[in-house]
Amino acid sequence: MTSELLRQVRLLDPVADTDRVADVLITDGTIAAVEPHIGDVPAAAEIVDRPGLVLGTGLIDLYSHSGEPGFESRETLQSLRQAAIAGGFTRLTVLPDTQPAIDHPGGVEFLRSSLQSSSTALPQVQLWGALTLGAAGKQLAELADLAAAGVVGFAESQSLQNWALLRRSLEYAQPLGKPIALWCWDAELSGGGVVRDGVEAMRLGLPGNPSFAETAPLAALLECVAAIGTPVHLMRVSTARSVEQIAAAKASGLPITASTTWMHLLLNINAVQSYDPSLRLEPPLGNPTDQAALIDAVEQGIIDAIAIDHTPYTYEEKTVAFAEAPPGAIGLELALPLLWQRLVESGNWSALTLWRALSVHPARCLGQPLEAIAPNQRAELTLFDPQQTWKVTSSSLKSTSTNTPWLGQELIGRVIKVWTP
Amino acid sequence: MADTTWFRRHIISLADFTPAEYDTVLQTAASFREVLSRRTKKVPTLQGQVVTNLFFESSTRTRSSFELAAKRLSADILNFAPGTSSITKGETILDTAKTYLAMGTDMMVIRHREAGVPLAIAQEMDRLNTHVGVLNAGDGQHEHPSQALLDLFTICTLLDPNEPHLALLRGKKIAIVGDILHSRVARSNIWSLTASGAEVHLAGPPTLLPRWFAEFVSQNSARTSATGDRIPHSGHTESEPSPPLGQLFLHWSLPAALENADFVMTLRLQKERMTQHLLPSLREYHQQFGMTRDRLKLCQPHVKVLHPGPVNRGVEISSDLMDDPAFSLIAQQVTSGVAVRMALLYLMGSGRV
Repeated sequence: MTSELLRQVRLLDPVADTDRVADVLITDGTIAAVEPHIGDVPAAAEIVDRPGLVLGTGLIDLYSHSGEPGFESRETLQSLRQAAIAGGFTRLTVLPDTQPAIDHPGGVEFLRSSLQSSSTALPQVQLWGALTLGAAGKQLAELADLAAAGVVGFAESQSLQNWALLRRSLEYAQPLGKPIALWCWDAELSGGGVVRDGVEAMRLGLPGNPSFAETAPLAALLECVAAIGTPVHLMRVSTARSVEQIAAAKASGLPITASTTWMHLLLNINAVQSYDPSLRLEPPLGNPTDQAALIDAVEQGIIDAIAIDHTPYTYEEKTVAFAEAPPGAIGLELALPLLWQRLVESGNWSALTLWRALSVHPARCLGQPLEAIAPNQRAELTLFDPQQTWKVTSSSLKSTSTNTPWLGQELIGRVIKVWTP
Repeated sequence: MADTTWFRRHIISLADFTPAEYDTVLQTAASFREVLSRRTKKVPTLQGQVVTNLFFESSTRTRSSFELAAKRLSADILNFAPGTSSITKGETILDTAKTYLAMGTDMMVIRHREAGVPLAIAQEMDRLNTHVGVLNAGDGQHEHPSQALLDLFTICTLLDPNEPHLALLRGKKIAIVGDILHSRVARSNIWSLTASGAEVHLAGPPTLLPRWFAEFVSQNSARTSATGDRIPHSGHTESEPSPPLGQLFLHWSLPAALENADFVMTLRLQKERMTQHLLPSLREYHQQFGMTRDRLKLCQPHVKVLHPGPVNRGVEISSDLMDDPAFSLIAQQVTSGVAVRMALLYLMGSGRV
């Protein structure tokens, strides 16, 4: 029997909606006691007694990219899971655009068996199934088969450009009762843009991607959802106008949830003055007004969750001109420290707002339960030290790839330990 | 040679150029123009230094101009050309730059079809603690500082052949006409001309002149120095360059931009713009925004026309106007180019040896 006693930790429980200081005793991976002061400590218990530590419900990654299978030089499942743990995530949800794509039960089985081979304490990995064959957006995948194989839901990592296919997907998948995650982005309207259109795009001399390349298909999708009734999760919401559309749609009772990414909350186009290819994202970073609207929308719950959208690329793939870089950045190990520092320490958000958007809300978007921190529950917890400093380097990162603008910089805040059920 | 101090290792953008820097460039270029008028057109200033032309995007004119400038300064020159390179063999842009660094390059003149590459190489050179200076010779649609500086020199020299300086442009009306959206030349010129105190009037159809350009030089969004703060989240910015004296105006039709203009800068129109739904036809473009002798009547009688070349005759400028020395400064621009590029290489190169 192993016991751990965490003395006087700041306990963040967005399920119970509480933020308090308490002692927590964890025995053999089960929460044994949560009390203001625990006096009766098992003799062999390991005691963690450091002021200022935060213990919260496990963080839940809503969607991230795995390199494996297909692009193991970017990331393997092993390095991906270690990165997730290092970042405080107890559940990791992998997008289906691997090579081959997760578009048939065999793919699900293959990944599941690869995942079993490891013995380390690692996060639970769950898979999004591809909505279309090869995640190519051309033809429906065998969704019922995929559902039976145990995918958590269906997602298209790329945006569907075919409205007839989208309509039929929503109709066909309705009885399967699984979440459907879609990204609104019109390829033609975006016109090859690599940054959000506006005066800064003009100064940078980079092709601009207008906000309406997101909001026009979003309006169309909301019309489809209103007519068909299938619940949809809106991925990578990135514009102020989208927030208004989503708020109105939610107010009218549409069955939608939404997420933005941690990068869109922390940065805007002004950061691109460095032309760092790690800032080449899809959708692109917003203008400052977009960023401000997204921060407010998460706080108000209009946007439910913060997604990590971890997207590893090798050094060679990213060491190109900004506009030629493949879009995406890594994030699993960086999101919590940076969001905490920039949004909680700064006073923009309460600690619970952040924790909610990283744990209970992503779980809800996935249709999964997440338990409150209470005795007799299996421990699914993240222990975070908001004061610890560390430097982001290729050796300090568990991820195989280092495509992040924070490479080489000192961060404040680090996850110390994660308990997975 | 002009007695000047120069602190800038890299020339990437004119966004943060100070009036003193413009004047230093103009004075130095004037000295070299004098050198170029001598019987022996060569000075030993950069003897032993290596200047590398890293032209990832092919160019003959600009590369030749830099090559001649470097040779007139007695530098050794290396040319990197894309077709024959290993860039298609998995080498990154930084690998290419580091190869030339290892050969002992002192200055790199860089052109790339995408914005940001000269900056990336400059940052890598600084990170490696080298003293290599990087000169942006055109990056995507971002900037082309040496072109804007030679335009500035051409105009200022016309206004005062003995002492070209920035303040000569104060209050002058300068129209920049055409495909502003895709033009790195226009962007660099907007920075330099507004810094001089000129009134800058942009003209083009809305598809090639987005309304965002009206705020291009406004100070409300924080700019960092081009080679400065790489840290996107540090929350502080470096000191701002002095605010532009001149104002920037935007016109979606030509006549208002031309009215009483002292100078008209025309821009090259890429013919593929029609396939991107940006223009219906070259014919209509020329009708609406092409510079002709007739249109010049709206301008000041002493008006001069510039073009960065190569010119699409009969599209952005009529053939007869282009060839009319009473109006066209195109040949002077090319000549000025060598003196200005000598000045830039000299300023970047001196102080190191």
